[in-house]
Amino acid sequence: MAKQAYQGPLEQIDECCWRIPKSYKEGMQVEGRIFADDRLVKQLRDDQAPEQVANVAFLPGIQEASLAMPDIHWGYGFCIGGVCATAPDEGGVISPGGVGYDINCGVRLVRTDLGADDVRPRISQLMAALFKQIPAGVGKGGPYLFGGKELDRLLTDGTRFLETKGLATIGDVEHTEAGGRLAEADPKAVSQKAKHRGSDQCGTLGSGNHFLEVQVVDEVFDQPAAQAMGLAEGMVAVMIHSGSRGLGYQVCDDALRDLRGVPARYGIHLPDRQLACAPVESPEGQAYLAAMRAAANFAWANRQLLMWQTRECFAEFFATSWESLKMNLVYDVAHNIAKIEEHTVEGKPKRVCVHRKGATRAFPPGHPELPDRYRRTGQPVIIPGDMGRASWVLVGQPGSMERTFGTTCHGAGRLMSRGEAIRRSKGRRIDQELAAAGVIARCRSWKGLAEEQPEAYKDVSLVVDVVHRAGLAKKVARLRPIGVVKG
Amino acid sequence: MFELFEHTADVGLRVRAGDLNRLFEDAAQALFSAILADPDSAKPVEEMVFNIEGTRYDDLLFDWLSELLFTFATRHVVFADFSVRVHKAGLAAIVRGEPIDPARHELGAEIKAITYHGLKVEQTADGWLAEVIVDV
Repeated sequence: MAKQAYQGPLEQIDECCWRIPKSYKEGMQVEGRIFADDRLVKQLRDDQAPEQVANVAFLPGIQEASLAMPDIHWGYGFCIGGVCATAPDEGGVISPGGVGYDINCGVRLVRTDLGADDVRPRISQLMAALFKQIPAGVGKGGPYLFGGKELDRLLTDGTRFLETKGLATIGDVEHTEAGGRLAEADPKAVSQKAKHRGSDQCGTLGSGNHFLEVQVVDEVFDQPAAQAMGLAEGMVAVMIHSGSRGLGYQVCDDALRDLRGVPARYGIHLPDRQLACAPVESPEGQAYLAAMRAAANFAWANRQLLMWQTRECFAEFFATSWESLKMNLVYDVAHNIAKIEEHTVEGKPKRVCVHRKGATRAFPPGHPELPDRYRRTGQPVIIPGDMGRASWVLVGQPGSMERTFGTTCHGAGRLMSRGEAIRRSKGRRIDQELAAAGVIARCRSWKGLAEEQPEAYKDVSLVVDVVHRAGLAKKVARLRPIGVVKG
Repeated sequence: MFELFEHTADVGLRVRAGDLNRLFEDAAQALFSAILADPDSAKPVEEMVFNIEGTRYDDLLFDWLSELLFTFATRHVVFADFSVRVHKAGLAAIVRGEPIDPARHELGAEIKAITYHGLKVEQTADGWLAEVIVDV
C-alpha cells in the first residue's frame, strides 16, 4: 500500500523544488511541486506521498500547483506536508483530508525570563511538577469541563471566550494565529458525538507526537526578529504541541461519513476515495467549513488552557507570578487547517481556500493580519522537532506568498513505522538515553515514548534548511529540549 | 484470527475468519489489541449492546469499529469479548468489558479514527478477510 516506492516522474526545477508534470496522470489540472533538496529527495520515493501530490492535482478549482513541503510523508488522501489552494468562485472544493483528523493540530511557544542556569539544577523536579499538573495520555480528561451553552461559546469564540473567563490575556489572543478564533464557526454543525468526545478534553495534551517541552534557546540566527519575539540565547522557553483532541477527530470522521457519495453528485471524479470533498460553496462544503472552524477554535482554547496550566505550575514552582517571569506567548500556529485567504494568482488577487495539512502559515513582513509586534519582522513560525533534537522558530518570508500560498513546513516527517520503532527500542530505556543526552522525559506510556524516539523522525534541521533556502521562511532561533512531558 | 500490521505512521488490522460473525468479532479484538498494551488486561465484567445498520460489509465494519472506538473514548471503558451477529440490515452485538482502571490498563496508542484507506472485507477460499487502517 503506502510503503511501495513512488515510480512516477520527479523533475528538478531548482535546488529546492521538484516537479511532477501535469502529464503524469490524466486528470491532473495542475502540476505537482515538492520542496526538497538533494538530501531529502532521496527519501521522497520511499512511499506513495508524491503520488498523493499528483492525486490532489485532480481537485476541482485547484490553483497554481499541488504543493508539498520538505517534511512530506504519506497521509490520508493528502500527504502530510500537503498544501493546495482552491478557488470557491470557480467551483473549488474543500476536502477534510486536506486538513487532517487532528483539526488545528498546532504549536505555541512561550518565552520566560528564566535562564538555563535557573532551571537546569532543578529540571527533574520541574518536570515532575509539570507531569503532575498537565493532563496527558490516551483519552485522558482534564479539570476544565465545558458543556452545553458554554461549549457552544467556546466553539464559536475560541481563545476570546477564554479571555472572558479570565483564562487568557489580550496579549494571548493577539499573538495567536487568527486571534485564536475563526469567524463563522458554527457549533450546530458539530455533532453531539464530537461534543461528547471533547467535553472533558479541553486543556489536555493527548498522546502520540503531542508534547509539552521545556527548552533552551540554543542559537539565535536573526537578532532583530528574535528580539521582537522576546527570545535570547540561553533563555528557557516552553513549547506546547497539541490539537483539537477527540472533538476534532470526530468532526473529521463525521465529515468523511457525510461526504460518502457526495463528490459523484457534483460530477467530481477522484483518483482516491480519501480525497472526498465538496465545492466550498455547496451546503456540504459550508457545513464542513463551519464545523472545522469550530474544531479549530476548540484547539486554540486547548493550547491556551495547556499554557495557562503551565504558567500556574511555573508560578508555584518558582514562587512568583507568571507575569513577573514574563511568560508571554510568542506565537501560536496551526498546522492542520483550511482557511479562506486572499492570494495573488496569475498577477491578480483571488479569494482561495488554502488547505494546510502538516504545513504552517508563514506570512511575510508587512502582512496586514500580523499583530503590531511582528508587522516589521514577519510572522513567527514554530517548528516542533523531536524529543532528542532541536525545535525551530522561523519567520515568514515573501517567498511563501510567491511560491506556496503563504505556507511553510511544520516539523519533521516520520521515517520509521511505529512497529519498527518499538522493535528498535527492545532492551533499551529510551528515557535513560534521553536523560544521558540532557533531556528529562516524563511519559504516561512507555510504548508511546518508544514510538516517538528521535530516530523515528527525519532530522528537522534538514527540513528547515530547505524552507530557508527556498525563501519561504527564515531561521530565527534553534531551541533544544531539556524536559519533555508526553502522553 | 487477526494481526496488526505496519502502515507508515499508523496501524493496520488484518483479520481472517471462517464466517462473517467471527470476522467482526476478531476485528474488534484487533482494535483493542492496538488500544491496550496488554489486551488480556480487560475483563468481561459489564455488558453493552450495539446495533449497527448497514448493508455494505466494508462500511459496516468501519461503522462497527468506529462505534467501539467512540464508546471507549467517551465512556472510558475497555472491551474484552465480543459476540456479533451479522444480519440482512446490519449487525447486532453483545460486548463485554469494564471501566478503565489506570492501575491495570496501560493504554497504547491514541487511535484518532478508523480510516477508509485500503478498507476491505472480502471473501476468500476459506472464509473472509478484512483489512482496515486506524489513524494513530
